[in-house]
Amino acid sequence: MSSQRRIDWAIYAGFVILIMLVPLVMDPFWLNRIAKYLVFGMLGIAVALSWGYAGILNLGQGLFFGAGAYMLAMSLKLASATSLQQGSDRPVPDFMLWNAEPGAKTELCCITKASFLWLPFQSQWFGFAMGLILPVLMAVVVGLIVFRKRISGVFVSIIMLALVLLVRLVMIDAQPVTNGFNGLTDLGWFKIGDFEFDPYIVPTYYLIAGSLSVVLLAARLLIDTRAGVILQAVRNDENRARYLGFDVPAYQTFFFAVSAAIAGFAGMLYVIVSEFASPTFMDLSFSITMVVWAAVGGRASILGACIGAIAINMISATVSETEGFAEAWKAIIGLIFVLVVLYLPRGIAGLAHDLIDRVVARKTPRASPVLRVHDATSQLAE
Amino acid sequence: MAQAALTIDGLGVDFEGFKAVNGVSLIIEEGELRVLLGANGAGKTTLMDLISGKTKSTEGRVFLHDTNITNWEEHRIARAGIGRKFQIPSVFKELTVRRNLEVASCKNPGVFANLGFGFPAKAKVDEVLELIGLADEANRVAAYLSHGQTQWLELGLLITQDPKIILLDEPTAGMTQAETHKTSLIVNNLRGRHTIIVVEHDMAFVREIAERITVLHLGQVLAEGSVTDIETNPKVKEAYLGSKGIS
Repeated sequence: MSSQRRIDWAIYAGFVILIMLVPLVMDPFWLNRIAKYLVFGMLGIAVALSWGYAGILNLGQGLFFGAGAYMLAMSLKLASATSLQQGSDRPVPDFMLWNAEPGAKTELCCITKASFLWLPFQSQWFGFAMGLILPVLMAVVVGLIVFRKRISGVFVSIIMLALVLLVRLVMIDAQPVTNGFNGLTDLGWFKIGDFEFDPYIVPTYYLIAGSLSVVLLAARLLIDTRAGVILQAVRNDENRARYLGFDVPAYQTFFFAVSAAIAGFAGMLYVIVSEFASPTFMDLSFSITMVVWAAVGGRASILGACIGAIAINMISATVSETEGFAEAWKAIIGLIFVLVVLYLPRGIAGLAHDLIDRVVARKTPRASPVLRVHDATSQLAE
Repeated sequence: MAQAALTIDGLGVDFEGFKAVNGVSLIIEEGELRVLLGANGAGKTTLMDLISGKTKSTEGRVFLHDTNITNWEEHRIARAGIGRKFQIPSVFKELTVRRNLEVASCKNPGVFANLGFGFPAKAKVDEVLELIGLADEANRVAAYLSHGQTQWLELGLLITQDPKIILLDEPTAGMTQAETHKTSLIVNNLRGRHTIIVVEHDMAFVREIAERITVLHLGQVLAEGSVTDIETNPKVKEAYLGSKGIS
C-alpha cells in the first residue's frame, strides 16, 4: 500500500470514529439533527459514486431517495397506533378513511381504489426490502434503456430531472393511496426484534452512524475493485473501453443501480429519524442540493462528498438560526458554492489531497522535485 | 496457403447515397501484416469502422475465421478477437500507465466477475511496459505523456488485450522520425504473433513494415501486391501517388 493510500484509509477511519463519538457531547435534540445530516452524507456518497466515478450527473437522485423513503414509511404508517384505531381489526391508514370510496369497507384490501397495494406492507421487512429493490429496479430499467441507447452527459441529467418531477406529480395525484401533498406522517417506530428506534435516543443515532460507516467503507472498497477501476476507465473514454471488449452500458447501469440503492437506503433512514415521508423528497431543488453537496465536498471522493453534505447542512442550520443571518443564509450557502466551484474545482477533498501530497512529498525525498533538481546539479558537478 | 484470419466479402456502406466503402472484398491470412493505402476519402478508416463494428454495414459480410461477425456490437467484436487503435490516440487519461494496461489485461469483461481486487496479469503488464518503452513512466498519469508516448500506450493496450487481429489506424500520425522508427520496431515485434492491418500514409514507415499492400480508391480495392508491385502499378500511380511514384 502506498503512503497516500494509507493516509486515505486513516482519514476514513478517523471519520468513522468521530461520528461514533458524537453522542458523548450532544443532547438528544442535536443528536437527531446530526443523524439527519449523516443521512444526507449518505446521499452525498450516492451522488459521488454516480457523478464522480461513473460520470453520470443525475439531477433526479431524489427519485431513489423518495422511493426508499415511501416504501419504509408505508410499513411504518401501518405500524402506527392510529392506523389500528380506524374501526378495523387490522391496520388501516387514517388518510384512507378520509379518501374512502362511498360505502367501502374499512379494510386495507378495498377501502380506496388501489389500497390493496398496501397489503404486503403490513410486514415492516417487506417495506424495508422494497426500499432497496424499488430504487434498484428503477435504476436498472432507466439505465438499460438510456445507456444502451448511448445517451450520455447532460441528456441523462435532463431525463432524470424530468422523471423525478413526473413521479412527484403522480405521487401527489394519487392521494387515496399516497396521501398526496401531505405525505405520510404519524408513523410508527422502526423495530428490530422488540427494540423500537425512537428517533431521539442514542441507539437510533448509532443505527444511522453505523449504517453510514458501512456504506462509506463499502463504497470505498467498491471503487477499488477491478470493476471500479474499469468504471473509471469507461468514464475517461467510453469508446476505448468498448473496443477493449467491455460492455459499457452494463458497467454504467451497475454503478447507477448501486448509487440508487444507497439513495434508497438513505431515504429509509431519513424516515426513521424524521418520522415522515413527503413528495418534497422528490422536489427538484432537493435533487440539485445533493449535487451541490457533492461538488463542495469533492465529487471525486466518496468521503469528500459525504463530508460536504454534512458540513453544508451544519453550516446552514447554524447560520439560518443566527439572528441577523436569518434572511441571508441561503445567499451564504450560495456564496460558498460559487467560491468552491471557482477556486476548488475538486472540492474540499481535492484541497485535502493536494495538502497530503505535499506533506508526503516532503517526507519521501525521492518524490520531492526540489531534491531531484539538487541531485541533478550535483551529478552535473561531478 | 495459410488459413484466412479475416475474410471480408463484398462489404459496403451507404451514407444516404454516398458509398464510402463499396463492395470491398479482402482475405487477410493468419499472421499477415497488411497495409491499407489510399488517398483521403478512399474509405480506409471507414473500412476499419465496418470491421470493428463502429459503423454498421449495409451490404456484405465480415468473417473472423469462420465466425460471421458482421454488424455485431463493438464490445462483442472486440471479445471475439479484434483490437483497434484509433487515429486520434485514445487512452484512459486519468489513470496511470500501469492501470491503463491492467484494465486492458482484464480477461473476463463482465461487471460481476470484476468485483474482486487486483489485476492478476502483472507479468504480462511488465512485459508490455518494456516492449513499448514506458517502464519508467508506469506510475505516471496518462494525461501527462507526450503525444508519441500516448500512441505507444495505446499500442500497449492492444498488445495487452492480445486480440487475434489488430487494426491500426495511422499509428505514426503526428510522430517525429525517431518516434516513427520506434513504432515500426514495436509493430515488427508483433509480426507473426498477431494478424495486423495498418492504415498509414507515411511511406518510410510503410517500407519498414509492409509485406502486402492493398490500395483503396473511392471506396473500392484498386490494387493489391508487394511494395514494388504497388510502386510500379500504373493505376495506383495515376490515382494516388501522382507520376513521381513513392518517394
